[in-house]
Amino acid sequence: MSRWAKEIEMQCKIPAIGVASSNIVHYATGYVSKYQTGMPIRYVSVPFPFTGQPRAVDVGYVTGKDMLTGQPLMTGVINALTSPLTAEEKISGAPPEEAVEPRFLSPGSEENLRQLFDDKEWTDFNSIILPTEKRVTAMLKGTSHKPDEVIKTINITGGARQLTVEKVAINAVMAGASPEHFPVILALATQAPFGNSTSSMANMVVISGPIRNRLKFNCGTNAMGPYNRSNAVVGRAFTLMSKTAGDLRNNVNAWETLGNTMQYNNMCYGENEEALPDGWDPLHVEMGFKPTDNVVTVGTGWSSIASVGASQSIYPTHFLMRDYMSSFCASGSAATIVMDPTVAGLLKDTHGFKTKAQLSEWFSQNVTKTAASYWGNGVIQSTAVPFALQGLEPYASWRKLPDDALIKPFTNSKAIHVVVAGGKVQTMWFVTDFGIRRGVLIDDWA
Amino acid sequence: MERRKMLALLGVSPALVADSPAYARTAPKAVPKDSSPDGDSRITVMNPAISGKLATRVPLVPPLDSLQDKTIYMINLSWEGPDAANYFYGAMTEWLNKHYSGVKTIVKVTAEGMFGSDPAILKEIIANKADAAIVGVAG
Repeated sequence: MSRWAKEIEMQCKIPAIGVASSNIVHYATGYVSKYQTGMPIRYVSVPFPFTGQPRAVDVGYVTGKDMLTGQPLMTGVINALTSPLTAEEKISGAPPEEAVEPRFLSPGSEENLRQLFDDKEWTDFNSIILPTEKRVTAMLKGTSHKPDEVIKTINITGGARQLTVEKVAINAVMAGASPEHFPVILALATQAPFGNSTSSMANMVVISGPIRNRLKFNCGTNAMGPYNRSNAVVGRAFTLMSKTAGDLRNNVNAWETLGNTMQYNNMCYGENEEALPDGWDPLHVEMGFKPTDNVVTVGTGWSSIASVGASQSIYPTHFLMRDYMSSFCASGSAATIVMDPTVAGLLKDTHGFKTKAQLSEWFSQNVTKTAASYWGNGVIQSTAVPFALQGLEPYASWRKLPDDALIKPFTNSKAIHVVVAGGKVQTMWFVTDFGIRRGVLIDDWA
Repeated sequence: MERRKMLALLGVSPALVADSPAYARTAPKAVPKDSSPDGDSRITVMNPAISGKLATRVPLVPPLDSLQDKTIYMINLSWEGPDAANYFYGAMTEWLNKHYSGVKTIVKVTAEGMFGSDPAILKEIIANKADAAIVGVAG
């Protein structure tokens, strides 16, 4: 919002104010103004929630109070558009430098340092390994890259923070990783920070290639459970580096209303490539990597639904997957299905899906939901309605459909991914709404 | 019968009897520390935080003298959909028309919602010599 208001002020040379609920105004006038826009946009504030309310509620807010000042909201609007500028609002030019973060923290007792790390929200509030120079130096031996190499500049919430190899090493130590994990964590750092939105996102980290076996990532029984060190520390490192490099702090610039427990470990697991049926390629090979490449892939989404028990002959497995997928919003046509090798075998041998791509295509053609259910989702409203208003298909046509009309929301089968993991203990699976990004070559970070 | 199994059969979480000696946790091993130069128990650790770059300050455009006879654009960012802001801007327009003669409002829904940019709207604002804009509504 502030970015929009700033564009109008700068390009159109007219005053522009924002209207938002108080949590967003707090973020906009604080963090966003400081690190992103540099412009102290004026706001008035409506009660929360604003969207999804009956018309009468939103209309009533106009004659209600400005939640920032307590005065009538329209008085706030008029004041925001007509009050003389304050000295603060007239400031221009380069800001004073923010205090530079020192490379080392002041010495302290272990207890006090642990408290400091928690107070700064640099941890996930589980115990960390304190990053002494000795430990960080040892971690850096896990890569040929120089400590001061900038991996990326993180600006998603402003601040243009430069994430260096050394900073990632600090987080890797904190997470409990060993130097041999470091190339994986560096590759993962190219994808930091993790998904962070009021909609309470989660993330998935999939490890592919021979490195799974060399570092003993768990791809079998309990692949997604708390039973393996490599899965645990790599998944956790993604959280810690996302928080520290992204400067993510609760109620400051992290506004996930419920949050998501999957953010503790980011569903880090390896694909059970050895157990794939013939013709089913590993995830990274589907993306164009060689089977011998080592790759880490990040997905972002919200939800995971389990089969809750074994597959049954009375109702084909892919039918049940299809039914459960119909509850997803299908944003970006994205889904990721994680299945035990036995399910993959069943789908291939009994139901004839010779490749993962065939199965993805079947979902694209057969998952349906009503138009009302599709448009009834907030993320879809934010992302697909603008497409519909521009006349882009199929969204424009879908928006004209009656509520009970069925649509096929997964329009792009290539955005539906299949990953095989698990220990052949039960014919079970998860369907998730995770959108998978292109994988990152771990070998580039060795 | 093994105590944990017995509790599970009774539907009781072992956590409920965690104070019992049978479930007492063993003391955690001390974390090895790097020795400090002065030999005290304090340690020095590296800082995971990264300095943020502050945005260059940009002043606000001078405000209006009044809303009388002004043209105000109401920009709908489709936050979780366009409906709520449309309701809100409609009521705001009614209020302004009632209290300020000659105020003209124009509601525009952005092409890419809250994301991206919409140069067409900016051009239109300039072409129509609009006087102010309201952006929203988020929440």
